[in-house]
Amino acid sequence: MITFENVTKTYKHTTVALRDVSLDIDKGEFVFLIGASGSGKTTFIRLLLREEIPDKGKIWEAGRDIVHLPKWRVPYLRRNIGCVFQDFRLLPNKTVFENVAFALEVIGRPHHVVQTQVPQILDLVGLAKKRDSLPGELSGGEQQRVAIARAFVNRPLILLADEPTGNLDPATSQGIMQLLDRINRTGTTVVVATHDEVLVNWMRRRVVELDHGTLVRDQARGVYGIDSGPSDIEDGVEGGVA
Amino acid sequence: MPVSAQYVARETASNLWRNRLMTVAAVMTVAVSLSLVGAALLLKQGAAQAEGEWQRGTQVVVWMQPTASSAEVRAIGTQLKTLSYVDQPCVYRNHAFDYAEAKRLLGQVYIEAGVTAAQTPTSWRCIPVHPQDATAVIAKFSGQPGVIQVTAPLQQIRSEENVINILQIVFVVVAVVLLISASVLILNTIRMAIFARRREVSVMKLVGATNWFIRLPFMTEGMIQGLIGSGVAATLVYVLHVLLNNAGNPVSHPGSLLAQMRMSGWAVFGTDAVVVLVGVCVGTLGSAIAIRRFLDV
Repeated sequence: MITFENVTKTYKHTTVALRDVSLDIDKGEFVFLIGASGSGKTTFIRLLLREEIPDKGKIWEAGRDIVHLPKWRVPYLRRNIGCVFQDFRLLPNKTVFENVAFALEVIGRPHHVVQTQVPQILDLVGLAKKRDSLPGELSGGEQQRVAIARAFVNRPLILLADEPTGNLDPATSQGIMQLLDRINRTGTTVVVATHDEVLVNWMRRRVVELDHGTLVRDQARGVYGIDSGPSDIEDGVEGGVA
Repeated sequence: MPVSAQYVARETASNLWRNRLMTVAAVMTVAVSLSLVGAALLLKQGAAQAEGEWQRGTQVVVWMQPTASSAEVRAIGTQLKTLSYVDQPCVYRNHAFDYAEAKRLLGQVYIEAGVTAAQTPTSWRCIPVHPQDATAVIAKFSGQPGVIQVTAPLQQIRSEENVINILQIVFVVVAVVLLISASVLILNTIRMAIFARRREVSVMKLVGATNWFIRLPFMTEGMIQGLIGSGVAATLVYVLHVLLNNAGNPVSHPGSLLAQMRMSGWAVFGTDAVVVLVGVCVGTLGSAIAIRRFLDV
């Protein structure tokens, strides 16, 4: 589903954000991308969204080379990728329903489809009763649920989450992770960039660790810190490292 | 994917209402700036009108010998008829007319000089298409059989033309400078309005909106703001026109510059059309330009 092949990205020709990263993520996988601040997690997400272009290397998403994708095709690429951020990025003047419906209107879905799909997705994230509220009237956890609903309403192939629980308390964070897990079970590939140790250890999913832009660990059912579990880099057990 | 007109109309209406303070600021900027542009254009048009008025009063007179034969008078008349640079027909004034005119203009002096009607020269009177064509008439007819002299107020024409030309250039330069500053001011106001909504634009990009999908409601908004603002400006220009026309009343101020600058309502329609067109174009294109930098994500 996602392939990074010797990808290097530098900013202003001096700061190396990613260094020769090679990685495969299969369809339907749930992957944690971990590392300290400045390790390259956000650059990884931005490259997948084609907000950035690598200096070297190739990136494929759903079999498509996105590095050489013409600029006018980028919006169509993004329609297959749901995206969730730490700061939610909701439109403050639109209601919950309108925020979610917006993602469908943008891609030209007819009115009746919008009216059917949005209530379904709001039901999935547990916000059916808050459809007419404005984001400012919701808690942080509820706002993040709206953001997830908006990201998933198109049924994208990939869902990217950049520090989705960064602004949330532990209990709410667990709820968000459970929601992402439910989405993953529908076959959507989920990539979560985080440094929430508790959640990573609790979920026990594939962990890809970056350190100063270098991929240092790729471990199935991993934890936040290095443990004795199987690592693909060390063992070549499954998945990713090319 | 084509952008639906219903979506554009809905988004435009809701954005205009939601950002009404910015909308009012943009409309007022357009109105004030384009009023100044329109006023300068109106004055330029008035100066051109005054020039036309003066030109209509410019006359070339071919004075005939009092003793000139009818054949000589007719010959000059025939030649004048063939000229393309004078308005046709030229008018022939006989002894009696010129005598009466001389008496009216010169009064007692002319009567005391003892000149009779028969001794007063007759004349052909023509209005050149352009005042400067008077020189060609003078050159052609001076010295012809039966002609005493050919006269035209050349010096006066030259000074009037210079004044009018300078006035017109000044008004055009003022209009162009105002137009440029108005465009920059309007563009900046629209940019500020869009800058305040850059987050909204980034969310649209994030969920896969095409550039046209984002751009069209903003452009429609800019067009409506430009239309309302320039509508106000066009009204103000028309009010200025009415005020100038009243100030230059030919009955109370005969011969004044303002009286000669008087124009019909239809003549102002052209200036108003330019003002509205500029308002709509600057609003629409300004929005398209202002949003460009936020689309490159």
